Amino acid sequence: MNVLQHLANVLAELLRADERRVVLGEDVADGTMLGLTKAACEDPQLAAQLLSTPLCPTVLPAHAAGLAAEGFRPIAVCPEASALLDSLAAVREASKLGWRHGTPSPVVFIAPFGPGFGLGGGSTEGPASILARVPGLRVVVISNPAEAGAVLRAAAEGWAGDEPTVLLLPRNLALAPVPDPVEALARPFAAPRRVREGEAATVFTWGACLPLVQAAVERSGQDARIVDVECLAPLDRATLAEEAKATGKIVIAHEGPRHCGVGSELAALFADDAILTLDAPVLRITGDDGPLTASAEAKALPDLEALTSAITHVATY
Amino acid sequence: MEPTPWDPEGVTVVLDPNGQLVGARPSNVDTKQLYKLLVAARCLDLKLGRAGLPMWASAAGEEAALVSTALVSGEHDWIYPGFRDVAVALARGLKLDAIVSGLFAGDELGPGRIASASHRIAPPTDALGMHLALASGRAHAQKLRGNDGVTFALFGEGLSTTGAFHESTMLASALALPLVMVCRSQLWPDGAPAEAGTVGDSVGERAKAAGLWVRRVDGADALGTHAAIEAAADRARQGRGPSMVEVVVTQMHRDPPAHRDPVERLRRHLDQTGAWTQTLQDVIEAEVRGSLDRALETVTQPTEASA
Repeated sequence: MNVLQHLANVLAELLRADERRVVLGEDVADGTMLGLTKAACEDPQLAAQLLSTPLCPTVLPAHAAGLAAEGFRPIAVCPEASALLDSLAAVREASKLGWRHGTPSPVVFIAPFGPGFGLGGGSTEGPASILARVPGLRVVVISNPAEAGAVLRAAAEGWAGDEPTVLLLPRNLALAPVPDPVEALARPFAAPRRVREGEAATVFTWGACLPLVQAAVERSGQDARIVDVECLAPLDRATLAEEAKATGKIVIAHEGPRHCGVGSELAALFADDAILTLDAPVLRITGDDGPLTASAEAKALPDLEALTSAITHVATY
Repeated sequence: MEPTPWDPEGVTVVLDPNGQLVGARPSNVDTKQLYKLLVAARCLDLKLGRAGLPMWASAAGEEAALVSTALVSGEHDWIYPGFRDVAVALARGLKLDAIVSGLFAGDELGPGRIASASHRIAPPTDALGMHLALASGRAHAQKLRGNDGVTFALFGEGLSTTGAFHESTMLASALALPLVMVCRSQLWPDGAPAEAGTVGDSVGERAKAAGLWVRRVDGADALGTHAAIEAAADRARQGRGPSMVEVVVTQMHRDPPAHRDPVERLRRHLDQTGAWTQTLQDVIEAEVRGSLDRALETVTQPTEASA
């Protein structure tokens, strides 16, 4: 079982558990391009919750928000995260309903992004930082294949609130095997968490970059802690600043462009809230700014060598 | 009366320019009540126009579509209006002082906009035409719930060139949603300019091509407008799918002939049936203006803190 199949099983369970949950999209009655509704399609009991729609890239998130306003809990399966950029106006309207009008809009978008399928182009352009700027939208990046289903469950059950939530699934992790999935998160959802202890430096990362960072820390031999940021919007500024102050030496590593990436906001956050405890320059190691052709899409992830030397550089600064 | 360039073509008529009944009188409409609301809506529009709200757009001439939509809608139905559609709130029963303070407060929506969860009036969207998609989602939910709820979406013909309009129309059509789209189309006596987005055809024709049930009516004919919106809502309630009522409106600020004014045309009708008197007019206007002035005084008076 890989991450996509695991997510498909969890999605079917979520539909069974609550009939207010519906899945929206053009091909949801057909399994979807990623197979995410395959398990649900096999259960005739769930047919009424699979809402096939014509292709409507501009408005679908607003349509989903209309359903949510009437008490449904829609889950939209996007073929890729850039589809949410096609519908940015609708995403923005859906995200306003909660904070501006007091109408909760518990819509969950599952969207693959980043390198991994050899697509290049738009798949390497880092949609996360554009989405993270939408007021009222929660943006969460899956980083641990074993937890993917549990993260979807927590999002659908509204553990962090009923704001519309984008679950970004790195393509690099989509086909990773999940022999032993986590049933339910034993930790808070959409919150930064330490995945490695260490005192010499703090490396902030998320998504498909996490395993790279873990490898880089081991290679560097430095006693660096690793923080999986997980939720790119809203940022838990206080916790992130504490993690930065704890070592005073910071590396930020993420997929996608460096220019206006979420790493830029983190660097600014540490300048705002932790500058007096910083003992080294804040280093950002990211993907190439692009544009990247299909054959060059691996450059959308940071280079292991660059990561390793950045960690060594700040830890020994 | 000979048709003038100000009279729309291809519309179903109930009240002719003289206010004469030439079509079937809608059975469910209290004509006097409709008239009172049209007058109130016009007074509100004129007052608000002078009140200096930022980016305020007048809806004078469009009242029949706004008021009829609110009158036809049931308690559990939802209305998704556009920016200038304050008359919907009036006809749906919001008190004038609540409307005025809502328009001026600007705490949630910004000044000049109104919404009410209790009266099921959805807030307007910032993105052009996106309220149509929120409305289609609401109608989808009503269909899935299997109650006989209907969602009404109001907009002007200018939105008919947007992607949001086309996608929402297709969604409503493909999924047979209980959505009534009420489109106000401006009348162009000298022909529509290219930027109006309708080149020789009408929004209604486009909606028909998308599979919607369509009626085109004259916005100066309040009874015809009411009848078409009611028929559309009845279809939706019976599970017969989405519809569009295209209401051809004449904006009063363009100084059209008097018979293009829905308030005046219904007044002529009431006059003919003996139901209109100058006293009635004075009473209606005095009542609305009195409450309006009081409400406006409250919101425009400087508070002690800011004085």
